[in-house]
Amino acid sequence: MIRLVVGRLLAIVPTLFGVLVVAFLLLNVIPGDPVAEMVGERADSATIVRLRAELHLDEPVPVQFGHYLWGVVRGDLGRSYITQRPVLGDLAERFPKTLQLAGAAMLLAATCGIALGVLAAIRPGGAVDRFSMFIAYVGVSFPVYWVGLLLILLFAVALQWLPPSGYGGIAFLVLPALTLGTRSIAFLARMTRGAMLDVLPADFVRTARAKGLPERRVIGRHAFRNALLPIITVLGLDVGNYLTGSILTETIFSWPGVGRYVLLAIQKRDLPAIQGSILFLSVIFVLVNLLTDVLYAKADPRVAYD
Amino acid sequence: MLRHLLRTVNLFDTATSALFLCFLAACHARSGGGNELRGLVYYESNDPRSLDPALSTDVPTGEMVSLLFDGLTQFDPDGKLLPGLSDRWTADKRAQRYVFHVRSGVTFHDGHPFVAADVKRSFLRVLNPATHGGRVWPLLPIAGAQDYADGRALGVRGIELLGDSAVVFTLTQPLAVFPKFLAMPVAAIVPSSLAPDFGQRPIGTGPWRFVAWEHDDYLRFARNPSYWGGAPRAESLTVRIVPEPLTRAAEFLAGRLSVAEIPFGETMKWEHEHADWLHRKAALRVVYVALNNRRGPLRDPNVRRAINHAVNIPQILSTVWNSRGIAAAGSIPPALGGSDPTRRPYAYDTTEARRLLRAAGYPDGFAVQLWRSGTNVELGRVAQALQAQLSAVGIRVEIVSRDASSMREAARKGETDIALLDWWADYPDADNFLYPLFHSTSFGPGGNVSFYSDPVTDSLILTARRTVDQQAREALYRRIETRVFRAAPWIYLWFPIDLWAAQPSLDGWDVPVIFNGQRWIKAHPK
Repeated sequence: MIRLVVGRLLAIVPTLFGVLVVAFLLLNVIPGDPVAEMVGERADSATIVRLRAELHLDEPVPVQFGHYLWGVVRGDLGRSYITQRPVLGDLAERFPKTLQLAGAAMLLAATCGIALGVLAAIRPGGAVDRFSMFIAYVGVSFPVYWVGLLLILLFAVALQWLPPSGYGGIAFLVLPALTLGTRSIAFLARMTRGAMLDVLPADFVRTARAKGLPERRVIGRHAFRNALLPIITVLGLDVGNYLTGSILTETIFSWPGVGRYVLLAIQKRDLPAIQGSILFLSVIFVLVNLLTDVLYAKADPRVAYD
Repeated sequence: MLRHLLRTVNLFDTATSALFLCFLAACHARSGGGNELRGLVYYESNDPRSLDPALSTDVPTGEMVSLLFDGLTQFDPDGKLLPGLSDRWTADKRAQRYVFHVRSGVTFHDGHPFVAADVKRSFLRVLNPATHGGRVWPLLPIAGAQDYADGRALGVRGIELLGDSAVVFTLTQPLAVFPKFLAMPVAAIVPSSLAPDFGQRPIGTGPWRFVAWEHDDYLRFARNPSYWGGAPRAESLTVRIVPEPLTRAAEFLAGRLSVAEIPFGETMKWEHEHADWLHRKAALRVVYVALNNRRGPLRDPNVRRAINHAVNIPQILSTVWNSRGIAAAGSIPPALGGSDPTRRPYAYDTTEARRLLRAAGYPDGFAVQLWRSGTNVELGRVAQALQAQLSAVGIRVEIVSRDASSMREAARKGETDIALLDWWADYPDADNFLYPLFHSTSFGPGGNVSFYSDPVTDSLILTARRTVDQQAREALYRRIETRVFRAAPWIYLWFPIDLWAAQPSLDGWDVPVIFNGQRWIKAHPK
């Protein structure tokens, strides 16, 4: 287990270097001009030329990359061209909010999704199964954007139970978490149901029943634990995605998270902010993947020996 | 022990209790910690760059700066030029030397008195290359400013102090609209000593004091009780960052925004259901299509006129744009002096369009690309309507949708045949619609992306800039515009009418014609 973790941690360095190179090259290829975004709709050419020189944008790409890499090695992600604030500070300010939203969405998705899936698998074709698969079907098909706006209309405008958007206490978290979690609930429910249906006819389940265990224990301990692997896969992927910001959900719900930061940085061609965000989010993604692998090994010790 | 506990906690119980927790959370509504909303609540669609006036190159930054700071002059919601930190000013006969007398007894939010020297220091700071602000053009007319901005001089000779009571500006050339330049956010006056985090915790002389800024979430301001122009009527002003227009409408309906612009798709609904909340005002803004005067068939004025005749603007305006605009017969909005109400738009006449195309040697039409910003859905629909109507006269339009930044770059480089754009006033004057958009020195980044170039127009625009007499100046603008209109460098679309809803409890608020015209001083929640 320790070897697995250490090996993976060592592999992070080349991974991140690759990410940096690709991101840097892509940002140099795409059209759009960071200086044009700084100066706004009307500018004089002299100012544009001067700013370009001051930001080293007129230097060859390898030199620019060298500058940037040297900064990263020293732990400096640079300052945003647009706001002139340090990128790392901006990310540190927003990440806890993204974490909060991702955590709430995952909690919701894991509990509701897995419960629906397990319940559906107990009696395939029964009323519960049909109901939960309908929910799953609807959840997968509806676009996030639309679900979000519908939830706002219903709970914030019509019923006035919850605030429409913004960041604050738990009340502000409910609708965005639900919106973000819907797709995961649906996906997890289908995944869990499938995995459970694979496991339930197995011999050890029959043995468990034969030795007189209550059905709750048969399902909850014996069958479910063996159906965990695909569930962990889905959960791991979703957590990775949520933690790297959910642009649509954050935009609809005015949630001040990482996703919106990245979006605005891209729109404004704010190169240090984009590169810094990509690097930061890659680290998060890699760590989540590592955690998923560790959980794999926990759930199924055979994995650790491979 | 833990293992035992884990074993006994049943999956179903966990699920049930989690659901119950969610339910509890839902019942725990309206307890938002970071979002207590009292007083006035306004919004921006994205976080300002900074609260430092020197960095105000976009609308959110400019609006916030105009709450916290004062310039020597200012605009009211109708775009009228009013005294600011300067209570009176005089110009010499040629409009080349201005004396701005500064208001006495004004203090910054930290108690320091405002003096004339602050004006000079603030302007030097904006021009200083080390500031990296990006917007210096409003101050470049001052003699020596360009040299200082380029690092070739140690001071700006065109700015002199007359003791503590006045500042004298000498310009490189006469410029009648110069006092309006000084009302722009970038020319706001900042204190003499600035903390390193000035952009985050600003100190100004404006009607509102800074209280808090949570990035991407909200900004909070408190009334400046000793504001020289009379303290704001409301205690506090919160500016939330709400990027999505439909969310803003919902926030307004939930009573959590004092005002909201009506999303385009919702126009009819709001006009029908909430007519008494609506405020309408013709904005100092023009929506237009830049026809690149240097590319292909578009070089020929007859082709450009044909295009103008081939599109049915009133129809597009009423269907796609929900009638939220006035068809344009020129580029100067009707509210500004120099616009000509007697000029008629190009008539919708496909026969005439075909005749002009034949005369220009394109009886079978031609193919062009129309660029539009993918981020603006409404303009996207306009692009489709134009495409359909132009195909009727044989002009085959391919729509190129790019994100705003890529499109701006292409348009400025002159790589677009046709570009669908809008232009917002920086200062309420016809000059702001002629000099940037049609003068040949404004090619590209300066604003002229149709690359219209005409020596007569150029010299007339400069003459108008030098003309002090308002009536003579307006007459010149009418003449210039008639000339440009005939050359048809654009498809002239419309001047938008802004449609806002204000809470019935809100008093003393009006839609501003220009972004920094509403300073929330008279607004008050009843």
